[in-house]
Amino acid sequence: MKTIEIIVAPDGKTRAETFGFSGQTCREASRFVESALGKATSETLKPEFHQATSSQQQSTRQ
Amino acid sequence: MSHIVQIEAQVRDPVAIRAACSRLQLPEPLFGSAKLFSGLREGWIVQLSGWRYPVVCDCNSGQVDFDNYEGHWGERSRLDAFLQRYAVEKTLIEARRQGHSVVEQPLADGSVKLTVNVAGGAS
Repeated sequence: MKTIEIIVAPDGKTRAETFGFSGQTCREASRFVESALGKATSETLKPEFHQATSSQQQSTRQ
Repeated sequence: MSHIVQIEAQVRDPVAIRAACSRLQLPEPLFGSAKLFSGLREGWIVQLSGWRYPVVCDCNSGQVDFDNYEGHWGERSRLDAFLQRYAVEKTLIEARRQGHSVVEQPLADGSVKLTVNVAGGAS
């Protein structure tokens, strides 16, 4: 199941976290939240992002 | 799994402004010019409860103009509640437009959690 969890704080600041995606696909999926609400002030890549990207690069080289 | 994004909302959608006002039981927003203490502003005019001057949302810039004189002319928490509801309503509108289903859940600390189930095509 691919989900995006969005927490809107009492002052309107928003935090979006993706689950179940691999590599860059999470960025594409959550882009609508960013474009809908405004500008992203920070982005943190979780370890899974790099793992998925790395394995994709390896399979591309083979 | 993969990433976390922090977003500062800009108010750009009149439909979401209207939905936020309706949900907070505020008067319907009107487009026009409003007098704030610091001068005239044009945009979507929102009247918050207990505020001396209205809040004016410029949907072109995303900016929200207000004069509350550091809380003397209106509680900041009322504006924050509007901004929170705007962000929730705007996310609901856009998620549904993308064909995703959304579950809304209030949290104990006053935050609102939205869980978007992404339809297969967006993976």
